[in-house]
Amino acid sequence: MKRIYAVLIDILAFGYILGSIVFLLQQIFDFSLQLLPLILLSLILTLICLFLEDSLGLLIFGFSAGKKYWHSFSGWLITVMLILTFICGWIIVEINPLYFFEGINNTRGILQGLFSPNFQNLLPMLSALAETIYLALLATIFALPFAFAFSFLAARNLMPNTFWGNSIYIFIRTLATFFRSVEAIIWAIIFCVWVGIGPFAGMLALMIHSIASLTKLFSEQIENIDQGPVEAITGTGASTLQIWLYAVIPQIVSPFLAFTIYRWDINVRMATIVGFVGGGGIGLALQQEQQMLRWHNVGLIIWLIAITIWIMDMVSGKVRARLMEL
Amino acid sequence: MEFIKISNLHKTYPGGIKALKGIDLEVKQGEFLILLGLSGSGKSTLLRCLNRLIPSTQGSIIFQGKEVTTASQVNLRGIRRQIGMIYQQFNLVKNLSALTNVISGYLGYLSLSKSLYPLLDKELVNKAQKNLKRVGLEQMAEKKVRNLSGGQQQRVAIARTLMQDPQLILADEPVASLDPATADSVMRYLGELNRNDGITIICSLHFLSLARKYGSRVIALKDGNIVFSGSPSEIDPNRFREIYGEDAEEVDIV
Repeated sequence: MKRIYAVLIDILAFGYILGSIVFLLQQIFDFSLQLLPLILLSLILTLICLFLEDSLGLLIFGFSAGKKYWHSFSGWLITVMLILTFICGWIIVEINPLYFFEGINNTRGILQGLFSPNFQNLLPMLSALAETIYLALLATIFALPFAFAFSFLAARNLMPNTFWGNSIYIFIRTLATFFRSVEAIIWAIIFCVWVGIGPFAGMLALMIHSIASLTKLFSEQIENIDQGPVEAITGTGASTLQIWLYAVIPQIVSPFLAFTIYRWDINVRMATIVGFVGGGGIGLALQQEQQMLRWHNVGLIIWLIAITIWIMDMVSGKVRARLMEL
Repeated sequence: MEFIKISNLHKTYPGGIKALKGIDLEVKQGEFLILLGLSGSGKSTLLRCLNRLIPSTQGSIIFQGKEVTTASQVNLRGIRRQIGMIYQQFNLVKNLSALTNVISGYLGYLSLSKSLYPLLDKELVNKAQKNLKRVGLEQMAEKKVRNLSGGQQQRVAIARTLMQDPQLILADEPVASLDPATADSVMRYLGELNRNDGITIICSLHFLSLARKYGSRVIALKDGNIVFSGSPSEIDPNRFREIYGEDAEEVDIV
């Protein structure tokens, strides 16, 4: 089986190398190429590799040819791949150092705004900031009971090793992974349509994302508890819920609280971004001021966000350190 | 009726390791039975099969006339309530107080709603205090278990077991992570429970000296079989080598 994977990796690697070379040539000469000859060529090269018993796939699966890196064909191939990737990347990303230095004058407005923020707007901006902090806090609080309940069902060591136990475990885990991998900003766009632009949409977006990521963090914490007390309480004839109550929950309360505070910290940061697409709070204000090129107001907002995040970071770090000692 | 009757007990772990290969054993009420044997000989597995913390693969265990291996969940909890267990690593919740840990031994007798605020139940707290006093830790009730020494933690575990009013205590190498002097004091508490309360004790040990001092009978396991059964004094250097292998030599503690 490993050899089949090795061959597949070789075909992909050669396909990538040939594709990159064709891409680079296309930048210089104007021509088009069918996919089929490329695939055929990589197949032929892979076959040659099989014959040589020295290829990338074999190297990955540990069938080393026993030669030094620079002397082996596979080592040489890796080097070529890295160089090609870098050159292609440079072209695709349209890197141009000249623009970087020439365009510096355009930022004068922003920099001026940053160093002379408009304090006349302090009050409305502070209220927008409060909106952000509160919506992040409520998103965290609403997410907590859901994540708490789900995390028990998503902990390998608590779910029985039966059909239903495994099904629930896999279902919750998959759901959490899916909801977490969709960025909060996408959820915000959905909820802006659903409940209308404003902090409520932002809160819902952050809540969904928080439930998913707290479920994962919590369930991993449960999986890492000391199993000894669970065994001991089981041995006394306690029921499953009693076992959770006495052997599991006491071990997880303080790490759970620590994670929750950390999540609030993250949610305040995310709320700023979510605000950009209509999720309310200071992010929304930032987007509006930036659209109207009022750089002095933008400067004020950026300072407010930076100070808030700095304070939250410090406070939550301290609180978490204390909680871990409990 | 025998107190415990184990017949033809087998345990094969997933992955094919055969931990027990047909154990036949009878235990009388009031015995202090010592299990000897190398690590991996099946002592822990045998002890955990008795209260079905580990399900056995084949065979039967009758405890006070009830079959353990096939008992329903409800009946199993009733059986487990009668059987206390103490562990090498104490298995206490380290960030709870000694008192709460002791109370948790009584959970098998409590409904879920009653187990929510046990500290409000005066009778229960008194019972826990009394058991802590029996192991000489009445001063430590409010302390977090994490702040207690190893010997004190094992005594808290004994107090937790006493909350069950057990007929039988299983002890899985209760002194293996303690220093020799503390080990002897923990064994003394077990011996006292055996003599004064008539609690049957099955205890796995590594030290022959402790087995001779406290055991009324010794069972030796090797590769999942019983290779010796008799009184502790019958174990001479030859028997010892049969149990522990040719190169073994007895070391004395205490």
